[in-house]
Amino acid sequence: MPREHEPSLNEKQFVTQALQENLRLDGRELDQYRPLELTFGDQHGVAEVTLGKTKVLARATAELTVPYPDRPLDGIFTISTELSPMTAPSFEVNRPTETEVLLSRLLEKTVRRSGALDTESLCLVAGKQCWSVRVDVHVLSHDGNLTDAACVAVVAALRHFRRPDASIAQGVLTVYTPAEREPVPLSWLHSPYCVTWSFFGDEGATALLDATWLEEQVRAGSCTFSMNQHGEICQIAKLGGVPVDAVALLQCASVSLTRVKEISDLVDRRLAEDLKRRDKGGFMAELRAENDR
Amino acid sequence: MTVSSAPEVAFGVLPRADGSARYSHAGYTVLASVNGPIEAQRRDEHAYEAHVDVIVRPAAGVGGTRERHLEAILQSSLSQLILIKNFPRCLIQIVLQVESSPENDYVNTKLVQASLNFALMPTLMQTAILALLSAGVPMRATATATAIAVSHDKTVVDPSPRDVETARSVHVLAFTSQDDLLLAESEGDFTVKEWDDIYEAAKKICCRPAPDGASMQLDDDDSSPAAVGPDLRQFLRSTMESKVAADLHWK
Repeated sequence: MPREHEPSLNEKQFVTQALQENLRLDGRELDQYRPLELTFGDQHGVAEVTLGKTKVLARATAELTVPYPDRPLDGIFTISTELSPMTAPSFEVNRPTETEVLLSRLLEKTVRRSGALDTESLCLVAGKQCWSVRVDVHVLSHDGNLTDAACVAVVAALRHFRRPDASIAQGVLTVYTPAEREPVPLSWLHSPYCVTWSFFGDEGATALLDATWLEEQVRAGSCTFSMNQHGEICQIAKLGGVPVDAVALLQCASVSLTRVKEISDLVDRRLAEDLKRRDKGGFMAELRAENDR
Repeated sequence: MTVSSAPEVAFGVLPRADGSARYSHAGYTVLASVNGPIEAQRRDEHAYEAHVDVIVRPAAGVGGTRERHLEAILQSSLSQLILIKNFPRCLIQIVLQVESSPENDYVNTKLVQASLNFALMPTLMQTAILALLSAGVPMRATATATAIAVSHDKTVVDPSPRDVETARSVHVLAFTSQDDLLLAESEGDFTVKEWDDIYEAAKKICCRPAPDGASMQLDDDDSSPAAVGPDLRQFLRSTMESKVAADLHWK
């Protein structure tokens, strides 16, 4: 497969020099996001996020399995991230690259380890039956800031998702098909979102949000803050790169909170709009006995 | 459950790929990207022709044998269409990402499905063709494909998952724009007579001549009106015409 082409020396210099003068190639402010758009599919649990030219599709599914023997009371929750050659021809099938490993690790830390999904509620019969919720993240197009876009997609897909209803009567587990009972939403505790900062120059003098692919290739370091809208930090990942002043990082954290609030508002709004779109006539329509023939 | 929506397509969805198309038909939505001709890996390199690489990625779960089989079928059919001799030592990479497929409301689906989903094939094929056209890869002909399910009393075009489940046999047929049979895959029990009927029905859907009014009335000798699907060739033609018109708008 062909290697991804790197920006030339001139291109690199141009970007960094412009950033020293607080200018970005696309004319954005340093702490401004590209337009973020979130759409849902016809099915439950399909969310597509567009952030500029970056496109991520997340799909949530659930199936019945046996829980892990060491955690009999917990359901299973996995996030799988795979960058296909659709993203760029340099990615190969079944050969994870560094980008992919870092992305899935960050998503795991942000969504799974922060306890956003109540895994105990996924357990049906202790040690015997539980739901295994799986989110597949498909990166359709990569133009920088994959982490933030993927995180929004995963959270939105999980909040949009409905799993089949199940009940236990006299020790017998019944899982209802969508035709029998309306599927139910997952028990969701909080919505964490990622905000990635890119640092440029010595000591990370310039910090900017939502870097494009070109800026990502030139940057001297990056730091990802994951927090929810209440300002509770789930994780901070600063993997290598130039050392950054602690005060600057604190400032980054406080700006991140305002961005997280904006993202959170957008996701809530889109979810509400989608709910309204699906709601056909409300409660009275549900009470109706006649079928749609 | 019967999602018999008209086919829809959007070109150039992905900004970084050479060509891309998102196509939805009969409840299935597939996104395809085409890159090519690009440099091939040593193991895929062929001295006289281009290597066509088809990758099918399911919406949920990891691809398995089912996807490899679909890939193999698509690869052999698409290699017939693309002028591979024009690009020796190159690679034409087609990635097909399934975005959504219709669900069967009467059963709880498993993530890993053992049997091959033939109903998905025409959408994959059609999306690949549209993406190849969008990427401007030279081809010998275009193709149209359709799936037909035969249950005890009726034939269903573009079957839903429930139709596939109850069907006796499922067939996928594709025809080139020169009315030649490109692909014929079948699954289940059927007789030669049945297959002949399927062939005629599929040919009627895929190779419908340009509308002139008279031909539309001839279809009613079929067993059910459901056996008449959308006019795929006309769809392909009109979408490409509008795309070209939009692309050359500046002229």
